[in-house]
Amino acid sequence: MICPDMEVKLNEYVDGTLSAAERALVAAHAAGCAGCHAAVAELQALLAAAGALPKSVQPSRDLWGGIAARLGQRTTGNVQRAFWTGALAAAAVFAIIVGISRFLPPSTALHRPGGGQGWAAVTADYEQSAAELVATLRTERGRLRPETVALVERNLRIIDEAIRESRAALERDPGNAELRQLFAAAYRQKVELLRWATRVATSS
Amino acid sequence: MASDPTDLIHRAQQGDQAAFEALYRQHVGRVYALCLRLTSDPAQAEELTQDAFVRAWQRLASFRGESALGSWLYRLTVNVVFLHLRGARRRSLRVLTTDDPSALERPAGGEGESGGPAVALDLERAVAGLPPGARQVFVLHDVEGYRHEEIARLAGVAVGTSKAQLFRARRLLREALNR
Repeated sequence: MICPDMEVKLNEYVDGTLSAAERALVAAHAAGCAGCHAAVAELQALLAAAGALPKSVQPSRDLWGGIAARLGQRTTGNVQRAFWTGALAAAAVFAIIVGISRFLPPSTALHRPGGGQGWAAVTADYEQSAAELVATLRTERGRLRPETVALVERNLRIIDEAIRESRAALERDPGNAELRQLFAAAYRQKVELLRWATRVATSS
Repeated sequence: MASDPTDLIHRAQQGDQAAFEALYRQHVGRVYALCLRLTSDPAQAEELTQDAFVRAWQRLASFRGESALGSWLYRLTVNVVFLHLRGARRRSLRVLTTDDPSALERPAGGEGESGGPAVALDLERAVAGLPPGARQVFVLHDVEGYRHEEIARLAGVAVGTSKAQLFRARRLLREALNR
């Protein structure tokens, strides 16, 4: 157990940021205090282990393809525009597919019989995530091209319509697991699109 | 393809994507490790790694060679990650991301390995389990060697906050590793 007022000093001691006088005082204290003495040894071991961690970790897949597809942005706006148009068109198509397919979300809450509380939590998560992303996108939209913003908003309207329809169906048949799946899939698509747009906005 | 770094950089600055790919291959492990440790999220780390290399490509003309390309690239990466995290801080990613320390169990791809794999693995797991702010400061200070002043500037926090987060991280790690 470290003496209550010594944590900062012991950290600064192992970091070597104390003056010579302070360093001597801390060393003297640690020499006579078993808890602080042990803490210094642990901190030094931790720092050594942290410094020895592998500097390189390979990703699970080759990321170059995704990078290469975006490299044209340095020289031509046309490539960027084509990327956005194609990607957003794909998002719109997917949103429509969501509306007519039985897309299976992973949450077990969707399948739990009588799992009203779990379903409510899942719904709340989606709604909160989407609301927060919408708020962020609102503040960052100035960093996107106007045509990009228009495309994002158009796709969001499509997805929102799918959400509205599935929500209305769920109100008529609250226990229907398939409708829950449809609702969750639409919401997840909305969050995915918003997350993508805000990420590009904040990194542009 | 020439593997001389200076030649590769020069060619990439002229728009040679093959040369830039060679630079990517040289540095992707280090960039991904940084993104992974800062986010604790393999999927997000992959996205941010891609963002960092795209940003590097866009800014490569401004690289003058005063420092090693790696140093320039890793600082750019940290900037990309923090820019993203600042924008995302209050967004809930609960729906789309999960902390996955097991991803850190993959064999490391390169230099700097020492201290025994079991110790490193325990530490990686413990680091991945830290609260985000404490984890980011610990990774930058104790793993990457950044100073508090630089961390504070990158993270948009006070120097005192950076120190407090570091000491908190170390306390939590000692507790986790002593269990």
